[in-house]
Amino acid sequence: MKKWHQQIRPWLTKSFALPSDVLLELPRITVIGQLHVYIENHKGLASYSDTELKLKANKGYIRITGSAFVLKLMLPEEILLEGTIRDITFIPDGGEGYETKK
Amino acid sequence: MKQKNKPNAAGAVTIVVTGDRPELFFQHCTSHGIRIWDVMKTSNQACQGTISLKDTKYIKGLRRGMHYKIKFIDRKGFPFIIRRYLRKKELLFAFILSCLFLFILSNIVWDVKITGVPKDIEEKIGKQLKEYGIQPGSWIFSLNSPKQIQQQLLSDVPELLWVGIDQKGTTFQLEGVEKIVVKEEAEPKPRNLIAAKKGIIKKMYVSQGVPKVEVHDYVEKGDLLVSGKMVDEEESEENEKKKIKYVAADGDITALTWYEVKVSVPLKTSSEQLTGNQEKKYHLGFGDFNIPVWGFGSPDFKNIQQEKQEAKLRFLKWDLPVKIIETKLHEKTYTSVKRTKQEAIEAGITQAKEQLKLELGEASILSEKVLHETIENGKVKLNLYMSVEENIIATQPLRQGD
Repeated sequence: MKKWHQQIRPWLTKSFALPSDVLLELPRITVIGQLHVYIENHKGLASYSDTELKLKANKGYIRITGSAFVLKLMLPEEILLEGTIRDITFIPDGGEGYETKK
Repeated sequence: MKQKNKPNAAGAVTIVVTGDRPELFFQHCTSHGIRIWDVMKTSNQACQGTISLKDTKYIKGLRRGMHYKIKFIDRKGFPFIIRRYLRKKELLFAFILSCLFLFILSNIVWDVKITGVPKDIEEKIGKQLKEYGIQPGSWIFSLNSPKQIQQQLLSDVPELLWVGIDQKGTTFQLEGVEKIVVKEEAEPKPRNLIAAKKGIIKKMYVSQGVPKVEVHDYVEKGDLLVSGKMVDEEESEENEKKKIKYVAADGDITALTWYEVKVSVPLKTSSEQLTGNQEKKYHLGFGDFNIPVWGFGSPDFKNIQQEKQEAKLRFLKWDLPVKIIETKLHEKTYTSVKRTKQEAIEAGITQAKEQLKLELGEASILSEKVLHETIENGKVKLNLYMSVEENIIATQPLRQGD
């Protein structure tokens, strides 16, 4: 049942041009230059430090690295990050590139 | 991107969380619906963030069962500013005192301006106003209304023809108009004296002019009494030409006149009288709602005559919705009198006499006689005949050269 549910959603977005972030519960990330990253629809904070922010997403993690990170705003499903952003990486669940930092 | 993360009005608190992986505590908070902003990792073990004041009580609950330590390090926003000032007792005291001062001063008369009249009358008015209590330094709400003051002033300062009183904030502006007393002309123009009404002449005193009537003569209205046309008779016999001199006739001619007066007197009368006992009450009024301030309980008068006076309180130039209401309670008594017919007639006669005197001014009533009397609907109706002695002269200007 669930599988059928999940299969129909990508088809819905394709054929009806519905916004994919709403239907697929995917994170929506808005980046403004190197200054801001605005992440919506995340599933919680995994780790945060001065240079790295890791967020849980629907499948896997989102990792943002850079320097002088400040979380300007924290809401249940939104985060506004400020600082100097270097890169944004998607890490699939248990996939390659997944590394645990301690 | 909505950025409404500075609710300064509600107050914000900066907290420092220490412990292992402190950012997870903030994550815990956000999942409970608490908004956090300006999160910064200060060290590996410490993380700092700002939350709104109203969320602090939830924070304490969320911390329970976790191994984090929370420290409050900064307070921002309006509630804290107020709290800081409230803690300074002197400042608060001074603020209240100054408000009170301002309030008191705006309810005091500061200036009385009198315009439109010469200096001497101005002084007189000023003196009179002081007597009423209107002078710089007196309470505005203890004064009578401008209308009442106006009437009082007009009756107490006879030189005033009209006075307008305008209360502008804490100043009273008076504008007066002086009565110009017109002096009678020193030498009246030539005139005759004629009878103003019919009567029998009783007394005559002619200071100037030629009397044309005598005592005991009956005159009709308009008859010539004293002529202002004087003819020198001795000279006129010798010379053919008559020398005629016109003078202003003057004199006093008292005549007996009579009137018929109709009065009706009720057999039963009731009247109200104030006994002089009174009590004062003060209320503070907010709209229709009154709070008694002074004078509680009701007096043990049976019948009460109430007199209310309202005075509005002011603050700077505004009228406050608060007013002081002074209520005077006077005791009054009802007296009802039943009269016999004879008494009613007597009362009727005195009433008629007074009525007539009021009409005639200076006159003496010699005698009265009841012509007719009837009793109707509990009233005695009287027809009275009155004989009166009064001055009956009227003037009539003489045309010269006729």
